[in-house]
Amino acid sequence: MPQRQLQENRKESITVGFLFDGNKDRLHLQMVAGSGGLSKEIRDKNVHRPGLALAGYVQLFRYDRVQIFGNTEMRYLEQLNTDERRATLERIFEFEVPCVMITGDNAIDDQFRSIAERRGIPVFRSPLETTKFVYFLGDFLDDQFSPQCTIHASFVDVYGVGLLLTGRSGIGKSEIALDLIERGHRLVADDVVMITRKGEGILMGAGSELVKHFMEIRGLGLIDVRSMFGIRAIRFQKRVEVVIELMDWNENQEYTRTGLDDKTMPLMDVPIPNVELPIFPGKNVTVICEVIALNYLLKHYGYDAAREFTKRLDTVISRKTRQMDDRAIDYFEHDFE
Amino acid sequence: MIEREVVIKNRSGLHTRPAATLVKTAARFKADFFIYKDGMEINGKSIIGVMTLAAEQGARLTLRFDGADEAEAEAAVVQLFESGFDE
Repeated sequence: MPQRQLQENRKESITVGFLFDGNKDRLHLQMVAGSGGLSKEIRDKNVHRPGLALAGYVQLFRYDRVQIFGNTEMRYLEQLNTDERRATLERIFEFEVPCVMITGDNAIDDQFRSIAERRGIPVFRSPLETTKFVYFLGDFLDDQFSPQCTIHASFVDVYGVGLLLTGRSGIGKSEIALDLIERGHRLVADDVVMITRKGEGILMGAGSELVKHFMEIRGLGLIDVRSMFGIRAIRFQKRVEVVIELMDWNENQEYTRTGLDDKTMPLMDVPIPNVELPIFPGKNVTVICEVIALNYLLKHYGYDAAREFTKRLDTVISRKTRQMDDRAIDYFEHDFE
Repeated sequence: MIEREVVIKNRSGLHTRPAATLVKTAARFKADFFIYKDGMEINGKSIIGVMTLAAEQGARLTLRFDGADEAEAEAAVVQLFESGFDE
C-alpha cells in the first residue's frame, strides 16, 4: 500500500522562559539573575560546559547552547582574583549565550550577577549534581527538538503493545478502539495521534492537549473515555509498536496467509511492523487485534508461530518412514471425554 | 488533487457547530479531505480532528482534496468558509 507522505515538523527554537517554566519543579530551578533575557532563544538540543572557554580558549566555543557551570567551572572562577574573574566572565558573556545553569548547589556572587544582569543573560541555580542535571535537561531538550507529526488513527495499548489503527475515515477505527477499551485495554488517543521520533527508531505517540481521551462514535457523538471507563481505560503515552491498516475487503487483493515474512512500513522513516487487515461486517476485528498484540509479544520473546510451524512441517516431510495418517495421539486410551 | 487556502471568517472560530457542519459536508464526498495548520495534518472528515485545530477567527487553513469528486468537495467546503458557516 502506498504510504502517504506525513508532514513532519521540528521546533526551530524554544525560549529560555519556556525552558524555565517546564523544568523549574523537576530541576528545582531558581532564577538568580538576568530575568530580562527570558525571551532569548535556544536552538540546540545539546548543552555545553564552558571549561575551556573560561580558561581563555574561545575558538569553537559553543556559546549558542545552554551553558552548564558545575563544580569545575565554579571552583576555577573562585581561585581567580577579582580582576581576572571579571575579565573571564566578560569574555564569556560577550557571546550570545542563551542562559547559564549553575548546578551542584553552587552560588554566584554579586560580581557574576551584575555582569549577567548587564548582558541580559538569565542565570539559574539548581541543587542537583551536574551529571544528573545534564541527564534530565538533555532529555527535555531532546524531546523538544524531536521531529513530530500528527496522524489520523486510533492508538490503543493492547496487552502492553502499542497498536496504531489506521484506515480511511469511517472504516471503524474508533469503534474498534472502544471495543478494545471495553475488553480492558487502554486508549492513548483517538482520531488525532501526535507522534514524536525519539532517539534512533523509537516512536512515541500521545493525544493532543485539547482532545485528551475524548472520542467520536458515529451516531452517538462525543464521549469521554476517561470519565466513562475510568483511569484503567487510558494512558497518556505509548511507544508505537505495530501499525494495523484496516481496509475494505477486496477479493482481488492477496492477503498474507502464513505470516512468514515480517512486513514493516516506514513511519517517520522508522520501519514499524505492520498488518494489513481486511475487514467486513461480522468479522471480530477486536479479537484479531488482541491476537496481533499477543503474536507480537511472542515474537518479541523469541517465539515465531509461523516459523515454528514451518520447522515442524519440514521435519515431517524429511522423515523417511511415515504413516499415511499422522494423528497427534498414538492411540485413544479408554477415556472417551 | 486540489490545494487551497481559506481564512476563518466567523467571529467565534471553528467551534463545535461549524466543525460538525464541516465534517458532515466533507463526508458527503468520496474525495480525501485534509486540513493543514501549524504543521498539523488533520483529516477533515473527523470531528475530533477538526476541533483539535482550535482555529480562531482570522486563522489560515490549507485544504487539500484528493479523489474523483474533489472539485465538488472543494466547492461545497469552501462555500462554508466563505459564508462564515452562516454565523
